[in-house]
Amino acid sequence: MGKLRVYIVSYDISDSKRLYRVHKTMKGFGEPVHYSVFRCNLSDKDKIELIAILSEIIKHDEDRIMIIDLGFLDGYVDRRISLIGVHPEEDNNESAIIV
Amino acid sequence: MRKISEFEMPDLIPARMLNEFTYCPRLCYIEWVEGEFEDNADTVDGRFQHRRVDQSQGVVPNPEEVADFTARSVDISAHEIGIVCRLDLIEGKDGHVIPVEYKRGYVPKIEGGAYESDKVQLCAQGLALKENGYECNEGLIYFVKSKQKVQITFNELLVNRTKQLINNLRLMIASEKIPSPLVESSRCVRCSLAGICLPDEINFLKNPENRNEEIPQVRKFLPPRDDQIPLYVTGYGQTVRKKGERLEVWSNRDKTGEVKIRELSQISLYGSADITSPAFTEILQRNIPINYFSYGGWFYGFSQGNSHKNVELRIKQFAFAEDKKRSLKLAQMFVYGKILNSRTILRRNDGEVSDEILKSLKKLASDAKSSNSLQTLLGIEGGAAQIYFSRFNNLLKSDDSWYSFENRNRRPPKDPVNTVLSYLYGVMVKEFFVTLNTTGFDPYLGFYHQPRYGRPALALDMMEEFRSIIADSVTFTLFNNGELSERDFISRGLGVTLTPTGKKAVLRGYERRISTEVKHPLFGYKVSYRRIFEVQARLLSRVLHGEIDVYPPFLTR
Ligand code: SF4
Repeated sequence: MGKLRVYIVSYDISDSKRLYRVHKTMKGFGEPVHYSVFRCNLSDKDKIELIAILSEIIKHDEDRIMIIDLGFLDGYVDRRISLIGVHPEEDNNESAIIV
Repeated sequence: MRKISEFEMPDLIPARMLNEFTYCPRLCYIEWVEGEFEDNADTVDGRFQHRRVDQSQGVVPNPEEVADFTARSVDISAHEIGIVCRLDLIEGKDGHVIPVEYKRGYVPKIEGGAYESDKVQLCAQGLALKENGYECNEGLIYFVKSKQKVQITFNELLVNRTKQLINNLRLMIASEKIPSPLVESSRCVRCSLAGICLPDEINFLKNPENRNEEIPQVRKFLPPRDDQIPLYVTGYGQTVRKKGERLEVWSNRDKTGEVKIRELSQISLYGSADITSPAFTEILQRNIPINYFSYGGWFYGFSQGNSHKNVELRIKQFAFAEDKKRSLKLAQMFVYGKILNSRTILRRNDGEVSDEILKSLKKLASDAKSSNSLQTLLGIEGGAAQIYFSRFNNLLKSDDSWYSFENRNRRPPKDPVNTVLSYLYGVMVKEFFVTLNTTGFDPYLGFYHQPRYGRPALALDMMEEFRSIIADSVTFTLFNNGELSERDFISRGLGVTLTPTGKKAVLRGYERRISTEVKHPLFGYKVSYRRIFEVQARLLSRVLHGEIDVYPPFLTR
C-alpha cells in the first residue's frame, strides 16, 4: 500500500489508431523515455488500473505490451538503468509542482 | 433539526453489503451509512476481474421453462427476505439454477475452501432466487486466479446463519451506532477502509487508561505519505489547459509546467490564473478540488465535483456545534494543543527563553483546558499568543535588520516576516479546508471560531494546533537558511508583499515541511504531516460520533 514501484512499459501496436490511444493512456501514467517505451512510477492500484485500461484498448491477438518491474522507487532503482546519449531527467515524484 | 433517526431504513439489503457486514460490521457501516469508499489494489482488481460478467444484462427464462442456460450479470430483488443482488452468473440445469459468484484471488486455504462472508453472500443470492420461484439449493464460487470453482450447499445451517446476519444488519442500521473496530484482527490488514476506520488508533483512544501508556500496539494502516501531488499556479497570466491525460500550464506562448492528471491531489490558483473549461470539467469529474486565492494569498473558496456523501457526519457536526458545552470542550483542546506546540517551538529553537515563560505557557495551556466559556478561552489564547510572538524575533537567527520582527501584524502585513506568516496561514487554511471536505465535514461550521459569512471556521479550528509547528516553523527556517532575501519582497504603501519568486520559495518550503515524515506522538508510527492532518480530522469525526470522549490534539515532542 502506498509505496510506488518503477516500471518500464514497452509496446508494439499494429494499428495506428490503437497506437495513438495506448500512447495517450501511457502519457497519463508515466514519462516517455523512448519511442514506445515509458517509465512509470505506480502504486499497486495504479498498476492494476493501467493493465485494465490497456487490456480494453489493445487487440490481444495482434498487439503486445511488456511491463518490467524495477522495484521500489528509491535511490537503487536508478542504478539499474544505464543511459547512453540524450535522455530526459528521471521523474522521482518528489513534490509539488509550483509554477 | 433533522434527526439521524429520520434516515430511511432501506427495504432491500444488497447481498454485497451482507458480505461486508459478515466480514466486519464496522466496514459495512462506514461504507453504507457514512458513504465512504476507498479503492485499494484489491478492490480495483476485483472490478477488473468482474468486468466481463458485468458487461451485459442477462436474460433468465421463467421458472417453469428452466432448461439448460447460462445468464450473466442479472439483477434480482426479493422482498420477503429483503435482499437485492447482482448475480455474476447463473447456470440452469435440469430445472435447477445455480448462482456463480466471481471472486478475485486464489481458493483460500481454509476448511470448505471459502470464507463465511462469501458463502453468506452466495446463500442470500440463492434465497432470492428461491423467492422468485426457482429451484436452488447450491451455488458456486469461482476463484479467478486459481481458475477453480468451490461448491457451496445451502444447507439449513448456512441458511439460518444467513437469515440471522440479515437480521443483525438491519438491527445495526436501526441502532444508528457505528460498531466498534475489530481488535487486533488480521482482517484489518486486507481492509481497504483501514485508513479511514483507524481500528487500532480508535481502540487505543477509547480506553482512557491507555493514554499514559508509553508505546501502544498500533499497527500502521495509512500509507506514510500521499503519492498524489498538488499543483500551485502563482505567476501572472498563467493558463491551465488539458492535453490528453495531462494538464499543462502556459504563460503566453511558453509552457511553464505540466502534470499527469491522475497524479494530482489538488490545484491552487492564485490571482488571475486561468483554467480552460475542458480542463475544469475534467478536474471536477475526477473529484480534484480547485482552490482559489488572491495574489496576496487570501483564500477565497474552492470548486469541487460531487460533494461528499457523508451526510451523517454533517448532521452530527451541526448538532455538536449547537451544543455550547460540547463545542467548548473541543475548542479547549484546539487551544490547548496550540499553546503547548508553540511552547515546544520556543523550547527547541529559542536558546534564551526563560523557564518563567515556558512555565507560564504551560499554565495557560492547562487554564485553557478548564476555561468555563468561549470568551475566557479567547482571552487565554490571546495572552499566550502575545507571549509567544514576543519571543519570535529570537527564532530568527540573522543579524540582518531587513527582516527583524517586532510583533504580529496583518491586513496588510507591515514587514517581511509577517508577510510570510500571513501567506502561509492562507495556504494552511486551504489545506485543512480540503482535508475536512474530503473527510466529510462542512468546513464552514466550527466549534471555536464562530460562523461568519465565507469564513471556513472549522478549518481555522483544526489548524490552531499546527500553526506554530508548520507555518511559523517554515517561516523562520526560510529566513534562517537564506532561502528568502530582500529582493523577494516589495514594499508598497502600507504593506509588504511577496514577489513571484518569493511566493514560490515560500510554497516550496511549505510543501517540503508537510511532506516530511514525523513520528506520531500518540501512535508511534511515522507519517507525513499531510497524513497527520487527515488522521486528526478522522479522530475529530470519531469524537462527534461519540466513539472517543476527548479530542486528542497533535502534540509535538
Ligand atoms: S479496518 Fe478492521 S475494524 Fe475497520 S472496518 Fe476494516 S476490518 Fe473493520
